[in-house]
Amino acid sequence: MPISAATKAATDAHALHRAPASVSPQEVHKWMQSFNWEFSKNKTKYPTKYHMANDTKEQFKLIAKEYARMESAKDERQFGTLLDGMTRLGAGNRMHPKWGETMKVASNFLEVGEYNAIAASAMLWDSATAAEQKNGYLAQVMDEIRHTNQCAFVNHYYSKHYHDPAGHNDARRTRAIGPLWKGMKRVFADGFISGDAVECSINLQLVGEACFTNPLIVAITEWASANGDEITPTVFLSIETDELRHMANGYQTVVSIANDPAAQKYLNTDLNNAFWTQQKYFTPVLGMLFEYGSKFKVEPWVKTWNRWVYEDWGGIWIGRLGKYGVQSPPSLRDAKQDAYWAHHDLALIAYALWPTGFFRLALPDQEEMQWFEANYPGWYDHYGKIYEEWKALGCEDPKSGFIPFQWLLKNGHEVYVDRVSQVPFCPSLSKSAGSLRIHEYNGRKYSFSDDWGERMWLTEPERYECQSIFEQYDGRELSEIIAEGHGLRSDGKTLIGQPHVRGTDLWTLEDVRRAGVVCSDPLKRH
Amino acid sequence: MATFEKGIHDNPTRQAWLKKIAALQKLADATKVIQDFRVANTSPFRTSNELDLDYLWIESKLEQKVAVLKAQQLSTADLLYKATTGEDPAQVEKHWVDRINAAKTKYEAEKIHVEFRQLYKPPVLPVNVFLRTDARLGSRLMELRNDDYYGTSLEDLRKERGVRVVHLGNGKAAA
Repeated sequence: MPISAATKAATDAHALHRAPASVSPQEVHKWMQSFNWEFSKNKTKYPTKYHMANDTKEQFKLIAKEYARMESAKDERQFGTLLDGMTRLGAGNRMHPKWGETMKVASNFLEVGEYNAIAASAMLWDSATAAEQKNGYLAQVMDEIRHTNQCAFVNHYYSKHYHDPAGHNDARRTRAIGPLWKGMKRVFADGFISGDAVECSINLQLVGEACFTNPLIVAITEWASANGDEITPTVFLSIETDELRHMANGYQTVVSIANDPAAQKYLNTDLNNAFWTQQKYFTPVLGMLFEYGSKFKVEPWVKTWNRWVYEDWGGIWIGRLGKYGVQSPPSLRDAKQDAYWAHHDLALIAYALWPTGFFRLALPDQEEMQWFEANYPGWYDHYGKIYEEWKALGCEDPKSGFIPFQWLLKNGHEVYVDRVSQVPFCPSLSKSAGSLRIHEYNGRKYSFSDDWGERMWLTEPERYECQSIFEQYDGRELSEIIAEGHGLRSDGKTLIGQPHVRGTDLWTLEDVRRAGVVCSDPLKRH
Repeated sequence: MATFEKGIHDNPTRQAWLKKIAALQKLADATKVIQDFRVANTSPFRTSNELDLDYLWIESKLEQKVAVLKAQQLSTADLLYKATTGEDPAQVEKHWVDRINAAKTKYEAEKIHVEFRQLYKPPVLPVNVFLRTDARLGSRLMELRNDDYYGTSLEDLRKERGVRVVHLGNGKAAA
């Protein structure tokens, strides 16, 4: 068919002057840079001892369109798998119940961390003066919003499909009474968003993400799979694909201050404090969740810790930053000792205080006790015998009127809360690195459990104003505290927390009241 | 769900303070009350520990009242350019930054920073000036605190801070 003269002219012109069919993302990035604002005189509203350089680069060079396309593909795979395939397989109810309870803690707490990371990355955006560096932080803000929704979705999914939804559905309402909440807020909230902006970056990106997301988000998926949980790996591994970008942001934060004289004076101190802050909570809590919150074990927590924290992070990652003057934190040595025993110490206290939790805890069975003794020689004589005694006293039976916290008090094993980390500890039963110290200052008493935290408080006491549940509820009966702190299921009488994972013999408020436990502040006895 | 009428969230102390706060009608009076309240009950340097369980809640109610009176009694321009004490915020900022820059020790500087927060935390000072000033004071304080951070032993640090050591060690605590 003949074509018109106009069409032919257009076709010929196109053949001579072809428009580009595509353009590489790197070219787009370069072009986008010509639209930059000048941030060199940027004055942040956040305090910092450092000055971030104006010419810092960003490694990923992501632009919004590429980012959205990539994340959209990941979300489609993840939500598609969960809402279609896994639902048809009944995956939401196939994991061992001990692990189903662990995920009440892991996903609810990580959601808080991701939520605070939104603010932390935005704070870094405000503090940086290089356009590329700001771009990196901005991408992280969007990641953290995604992760917050993902963590919430894990609990939402469990709430719909798991046989015991209480605790998955509304954990946050118990935040005033649960002894694990305040320590979690210390690492995930205070550590990420309070104080020096660069120190926050070190807490979030250099330690939280580069060090502890490996056990928290990667190792947890191995434990989940071993215990029949396909939900957690589907979501958490998708989260982890974004974490590399955040670790790179932490690396670039250090690069941006490498030539600042302030870095010579302050950087290694801030790193040591950030590492101790994060490890003081994560080392015992993750170890406890993995080993005591599972039926099928992957490997001893101390091995996971040594591989990811000591060798991979303390050796390789920090080693790569050595050229910028960064040194491995001296507190790593004490942390290594905590990695062996601290989670056993915490598990004992968590079980003793089970009514204040938003998850069900179970005593280790005979097979698990053998595993603990084989991997932690001396475990049975120190911890195993206590669990056996508690079981014999009827700690699982609501008719017994026995709550293990009574046993601790009766036998002179006071439970204190470390003022800085907010982690509870029992000095007379503790095998971890720290030791009790109590100071009186301006009419109040404060308890601490290690040198590093004590120094942080002595240097900066106004930062650690959070009171323990023993201070808040001194003199109050336990069932009153639970009711006031919303620790009940929707029937208004059964506790969310339970000392076993069976569906029968559930403790009610009346059972706790009959036990007659009164909360008291151990500091008043000094 | 079971309810308890008198618990940590609803008690006679809080009720008494609600009555006191409701009686405040003038911005100048409310400003004085919130400043005095913060000096008496907030920070590790508080002069009283009586309200330890309730001070944050009471402070939030005082802040609400000062904010409402401020919106009612200041002109639109003054909301941005005047503290509720009647002072010029720029002068307040200069005064406190000069003070902390003249401080010789971290202990002197932290008292200045805490005092500034007790007297001027919003709604007393407009929030934009408060945040800027607080960041400048905080940055200086952090420099002083973090210089030679490990140079002082824990024993000496306890003495400098003025704590009374009640107990050290894992042995069974003395009754």
